[in-house]
Amino acid sequence: MLLIHCPYCKESRDQSEFSPAGAAFIARPESPEGISDEEWADYVFYRTNHKGNHWEQWVHTNGCRKNFLVERSTISHQILQVAPFGARNSETEL
Amino acid sequence: MRLAQHPSHQVDYSKSLNFIFNNKRYKGYEGDTLASALLANDALLFTRSFKYGRKRGLMTAGVEEPNALVSLEIGGRYTPNLKATEIMLYDGLSAISASNPNAFDMRAFIKPLHRFMPAGFYYKTFIKQKVWAKVEDRIRAFSGFSKAPTEEDVDVYDYIFHHAEVVVIGGGAAGISAALEVLNNSQKERVILVDERSQLGGELFNEFSSDEAAMKWHKDSVNRLLSFANEDSERFTLLTQSTAYAWHDQNFIEVLETITTAESLTSSEPQKARKIVHRIRAKEVILATGAHERPMLFEANDLTNIMLSQSVRRYLHEYGVISGKKVVIYGNNDSIYKTAKDLHVNDIECIVVDVRSSEDPIEIVSELKDSGVKVLQGYCIVKALGSQRVKGVEITQTKLQDNNWQVFGDTQTISCDLVATSGGFNPVVHLDCHNGAKTYFDEVSQSFLPQQERDNREVCGAVAGAGAWQDAIIDAKNKAQFTLNALGAVSKLKQEILSENYSNYFNVSQFFTPKEILNKQKVFLDLQNDVTTLDVALSIREGYRSIEHIKRYTAMGFGTDQGKTGNINGIAVAAELLGIPLSELGTTTFRPAYTGVDFGAMAGREIGDFFDPQRYTTIHDSHVASGAEFEVVGQWYRPWYYPETGENMHQAVHRECLAARTSLGMMDASTLGKIDVQGSDAREFLSRIYTNAWMKLAPGSCRYGLMCNEKGMIIDDGVSTCINDNHFIMTTTTGGAASVYSALEMWLQTEWSDLDVHLNSVTDQYSTVAVVGPNARMLMKLLCQDVDFERENFKFMQWRPGTVCGVDARIMRISFSG
Repeated sequence: MLLIHCPYCKESRDQSEFSPAGAAFIARPESPEGISDEEWADYVFYRTNHKGNHWEQWVHTNGCRKNFLVERSTISHQILQVAPFGARNSETEL
Repeated sequence: MRLAQHPSHQVDYSKSLNFIFNNKRYKGYEGDTLASALLANDALLFTRSFKYGRKRGLMTAGVEEPNALVSLEIGGRYTPNLKATEIMLYDGLSAISASNPNAFDMRAFIKPLHRFMPAGFYYKTFIKQKVWAKVEDRIRAFSGFSKAPTEEDVDVYDYIFHHAEVVVIGGGAAGISAALEVLNNSQKERVILVDERSQLGGELFNEFSSDEAAMKWHKDSVNRLLSFANEDSERFTLLTQSTAYAWHDQNFIEVLETITTAESLTSSEPQKARKIVHRIRAKEVILATGAHERPMLFEANDLTNIMLSQSVRRYLHEYGVISGKKVVIYGNNDSIYKTAKDLHVNDIECIVVDVRSSEDPIEIVSELKDSGVKVLQGYCIVKALGSQRVKGVEITQTKLQDNNWQVFGDTQTISCDLVATSGGFNPVVHLDCHNGAKTYFDEVSQSFLPQQERDNREVCGAVAGAGAWQDAIIDAKNKAQFTLNALGAVSKLKQEILSENYSNYFNVSQFFTPKEILNKQKVFLDLQNDVTTLDVALSIREGYRSIEHIKRYTAMGFGTDQGKTGNINGIAVAAELLGIPLSELGTTTFRPAYTGVDFGAMAGREIGDFFDPQRYTTIHDSHVASGAEFEVVGQWYRPWYYPETGENMHQAVHRECLAARTSLGMMDASTLGKIDVQGSDAREFLSRIYTNAWMKLAPGSCRYGLMCNEKGMIIDDGVSTCINDNHFIMTTTTGGAASVYSALEMWLQTEWSDLDVHLNSVTDQYSTVAVVGPNARMLMKLLCQDVDFERENFKFMQWRPGTVCGVDARIMRISFSG
């Protein structure tokens, strides 16, 4: 059970308030019609299952309902930092 | 047998309690456990074993007990498979053995066949031969566990959330010392001390009769802690009779507190919660979980009244109880001499058998010999004698040669009625390992010690290898200083000096596993699952090499005790038979929960009406008045059919369908999801979300839409209406309402944040009724006078605002039921 800091509510809350929403920074192809099935499949299905520090999306489902970015270690489950959407490199207090 | 009163005893001799065990009446005292009270009454038989139906008594005095499983109370308060060593006695208690030791037992009756029933017997005989389904019920009825409860639980359970800077787990000498060190050296840090027993002190009570300093330190320290708990309750919380059973990521610790009193279990009045789960989020954790003693291995080591040495001491000191008159104390470390001394002081005849030879005589040995206690060094027990209760032991000489134990010489017989054994100590590393830590095998202490360095966690006392209580206290203080430093409460670390060789668990010798003994029948490793050394040998012969596989093949370490006494011995035996070092074989995985947790406690108050929200439409009452049967869709209670007198479901549904086809039918469709979509890009948004086009849908019209996800799978469908160019109302399926709303929000927040669109769920704000059938138009005309319902003026897939029976409405002409 994680304790997650919501960058919008600015509070650390229990994991049960949040939902995971997959890996972050998966760029949606600019023109889906113009790419091959392989490229589309790569976008939809294939993920690296990264071991180590990993950026992912979470939603504060039972809170502000905002999507945000979380950098989490997939080994220790430690959360290294969180960021609002579109502000990957900004410093966020924990 | 109860001894004369002594200040070390933690029972209140002025408060006598009555209780019933296996339908017989007994008396005990306040402060007794069910186990100690029965020992005091010389009631030694507790249960029959899981597989062979062997009669068993107590082996331990605590959480590690493999044998003494009982069910507590009856009816709505029935709780199966509790350990008698953990049940605090109360007046009127009633308990029954999980498997009655005094009744006829089929498993024991077929004793001559036991040697044909090794590990894997049931699998090979029944499952592989595909007859398991026919015999499963009958075989399971034989198992040595309590019956499952049949009645609804009448008790209430709760859970409480805590946040703390420091959680200390374990309230023995080390835990008390660590908690005090933190409290004394910090100002505002919140501290929680958790201990599974009802009294703080752990194994320290065992030192009381021989060491007044222990008694004094205990009294002073516990008083100090209690005054913190009373006067500074914001800072310090003390949880006794509370077992920390799981440690999850980010220092999230779950603790089960048992609140069992005579009032709470025998009264029919509404009571406080019987058990509480404390969910604690901690910054720093100090583990002072102690160590469990492991038994020595010999033939028939499961006979009644063969107990662990420290458990015999605990019964003696904490409860003033001993279950024998002539005791053989047997082991491989110096702690056995303390047991001998304590028994000797209490005028109980005892003989010490030590597998280690007498090369380095220690003070306590000569002291004991001088006082007349017989000490045999370089001897081992090969076999216990007796049919149910131990009547004697066969011993022979032994020595450690080239890293192997050799047994030699003639056997002698010693008569006795109690055997206390100590084969070293297993640190309670379970919680640490729940949270990902690894153990390592330490040659000095002959144990799997917890990983040394970890963030936000210290280990102290016996779990870190300390034997003597004085060392545990100092070790705990030193480690608490690190914790305080990590919290920023102290900048300069104070460290006190420990005694020499403090971490060798009383000079414990190498695991005693001579082949001559391992190859015998009925050398039990895991008493709860009836796993013997021969079972481990068989699994290795059949090709298993990993300890995880050996565990699963033999069932060693499963059950309610999770192998707390037997597992490490089993690993040592496997290592011996495989010819590899213990450090290479490693341990099995320690997983939550450390001890059994009641389902009731996990559910807390979220049962019955609070289990799941129930959603009703705004016109629910009228359905009830019309005699509707309801079906549950998600959390909604949706009218299902309206039976008339004597009708079953099929008849009612036929009648309703016929009415809809030939005349008129109505349905409450309010449960459909409704999402209000507004903004200058609303039209563009719908076009992207649905597979069909929305750019030309005129205000006043509706359109059916199909929604797909990125994988191309249909996730939802429904009709959306255009109110105006910047405003649409989308309907979703009943079950998809929440997930569609979340998906739409996700698209707007992540990929399409440039769109000017705002969403609002209005599912509960609008009541929806489908009116269908050839007479639908006629009814609408009657109900609503301000809309023109003529075909050519109100076309298919259009909507009109109107007033229905005085209520503002949007009326859509759409096809809903085909």
